[in-house]
Amino acid sequence: MIQRFFLAAALAVVMVVAGTSTYLYLGGKQSRVAAPPEKPTAATPRAQALVLPGTLYIAQSGAIYRLSAGRFHQLTPEAGWSQPSAFPDGSNLLAVKYNGYYSDVYVLNRYGTPIRQVTSNSSRVGMRDPSSNHWSFYPRLGPDGQTVWMSYDQPKYGYDVVFSIWAMPLNGSIRQGKLWTNSADYTGGDIQPVPVKTGVIYTKYDFGPDNRLVGRLWFSNRAYSAGRALTDPGEDCRSPAMSPDGTEVAMICTYEKQVSYLTIASWNGSSLGPRHNVVTDQQVAQPTWAPDGSGIAYLAPNLPDGPFQLWWLPKDAYAPPAPSPVPTPTPTPGGPHNSPLPSASASAVPTPAPVKPIEVTTNLGFDATSPMAWMS
Amino acid sequence: MALAVVSGGLAYFIPAASTAIEATGQVVHVATPSPTDLFTGSPTPTSTPVAAVTGAFTVLLLGSDDDSKFSSDHVLTQSMILVRVIPSQKKVIMLSIPRDLYVPLSTGGQGKIDGAYSYGGPGAAIATVEQDFGVHVDDYIWVGLLGLIKVIDAIGGIDVVTSNPVLDDFYPQDVFSNAPYGYERIAVLPGPQHLDGIHAMQYVRSRHGDLQSDFGRSQRQQQVLLAIRQKAKQLAPEDIPVIASAIGGELKTSISVTRVTEMLPLASSFDNPDSIQQVLLLPPYTHGGAPGGSLIAEWGLILPLVHRYFP
Repeated sequence: MIQRFFLAAALAVVMVVAGTSTYLYLGGKQSRVAAPPEKPTAATPRAQALVLPGTLYIAQSGAIYRLSAGRFHQLTPEAGWSQPSAFPDGSNLLAVKYNGYYSDVYVLNRYGTPIRQVTSNSSRVGMRDPSSNHWSFYPRLGPDGQTVWMSYDQPKYGYDVVFSIWAMPLNGSIRQGKLWTNSADYTGGDIQPVPVKTGVIYTKYDFGPDNRLVGRLWFSNRAYSAGRALTDPGEDCRSPAMSPDGTEVAMICTYEKQVSYLTIASWNGSSLGPRHNVVTDQQVAQPTWAPDGSGIAYLAPNLPDGPFQLWWLPKDAYAPPAPSPVPTPTPTPGGPHNSPLPSASASAVPTPAPVKPIEVTTNLGFDATSPMAWMS
Repeated sequence: MALAVVSGGLAYFIPAASTAIEATGQVVHVATPSPTDLFTGSPTPTSTPVAAVTGAFTVLLLGSDDDSKFSSDHVLTQSMILVRVIPSQKKVIMLSIPRDLYVPLSTGGQGKIDGAYSYGGPGAAIATVEQDFGVHVDDYIWVGLLGLIKVIDAIGGIDVVTSNPVLDDFYPQDVFSNAPYGYERIAVLPGPQHLDGIHAMQYVRSRHGDLQSDFGRSQRQQQVLLAIRQKAKQLAPEDIPVIASAIGGELKTSISVTRVTEMLPLASSFDNPDSIQQVLLLPPYTHGGAPGGSLIAEWGLILPLVHRYFP
């Protein structure tokens, strides 16, 4: 009788264990597509990743992080912070704080502490009239170190809310600011200003010849002038980034499709040269040049439809070094080269393996709409 | 032992099965379409026959404001997309029907096509589309606002190249708010990005800042639908319970569970983006001037176009 009792109990335990194990096993077979990304501070870059030069500032989930010497450090709390950009002298950062109904530009020190609020875009009436608030995004400090360039949703008329490019004194207010561009109505407007010595490059959204909304890089050297298109509508380009030596522009071109190419073109101060697509098989966002010119960092998913990770494209991938000259053998009469000399094309010049992008992080989820800042 | 394993498996899949049974296989009563002078040869009404997955089939996708402004099942369909899947050619055609199109309704009279569902549920929406466009609809899928948010969150978000900054100072504050007639501000920034449910909803729903209004919104809706399809290809059967419990009652379809299972492998076979054709009824197919700011349909142009893709 006692034996039967123990047998039944053992059987019951086995059944519970088997049932629970099956349940847990099936749970473990989930694809993990919905697994939330880790915090950058919880995961260091992969061991194989080289340590990127300088310090990179990058946003995830409303917080700004610093990547230096291969480690992430959280600079701000997760409180709507994004879009860091460096002061020309590297002393501080500009960044955006998003507050649901409005966003403002702040000056942060290199450790993420807010020093000063640059814009005041919240309205006194607040939520009673949402349209009385304003957005400021994509702040950049000009080469003079005194002028803040940004996208700002003024003027706006009723439903027609568009960004325009504005320039305002770093230590002043928007009332002292200058409207720089004339945005097209009902398009989203002009964004992503990149101040250069000769004017400002930015992205203008407008309807193309096929009546579809497209992005084009645009250049303007005078406030509220018509400006000039740098790219064609069919290229559908955005996110300009100037190289440290000011001679090349990296951008994202999407050709009116759900693709995203990293494209580079030379820049002569007023126009772009031929395009060079350097990454065409990823959803690339936010190209950012290394301050020492050694490559380009960008954001892209490492899995289809996954969160965006940090990638590094070494310079050799888009500007490979010229092959070293092959010494031409001198024929010696009666020597080993009395047969026809090999032609130059037939010379056994080893073809260098193509340089591929390096995946710096694998399980994070960076904000792909936030530009990165990179200081030496 | 085998019984225990089966029980564990059942316990795992029961939430999904329960939701699936509630959401799928909805019986549709398609009203007999009244003859109209818009076209000859109106389609024979049917009660959603089940076509073999190897054959082409047409599904009507319906997206609704199912917020607190509306009572259950009397909602407008802000999004109506007719999808034809041709497995033999690995081809998908998506036709967005403007929600403001002024048409004869299957329930009688004329009105905006987005009202058909509110007057007679999915059957009326299907019958209206069938009689006005001269197409046969095999099945429908209806999803509410919260449903779309939950689906996208349950699959871990989607990657979309958003076409332009989408700014709206008068975006309806009706999903997570006690003031459903209020407004809020939204700003969806442009470019490649990973969207969660709320931001994807903002991207596909906003229309005030778009010169093309509902047409621009239709383009964005098609982008997001294709992104959801792309993400769905990565799902495992073991993900279904989590997704099913997340969706809850926010999705209804006439497609049976069996047929959903048969269709899953089909979704992954459409790898070439060029095999998906997107059609919008922009001017000259439609133009303004109908009562209440709705759109006039140029049927002489629309029907040949529709019949080319939806024979």
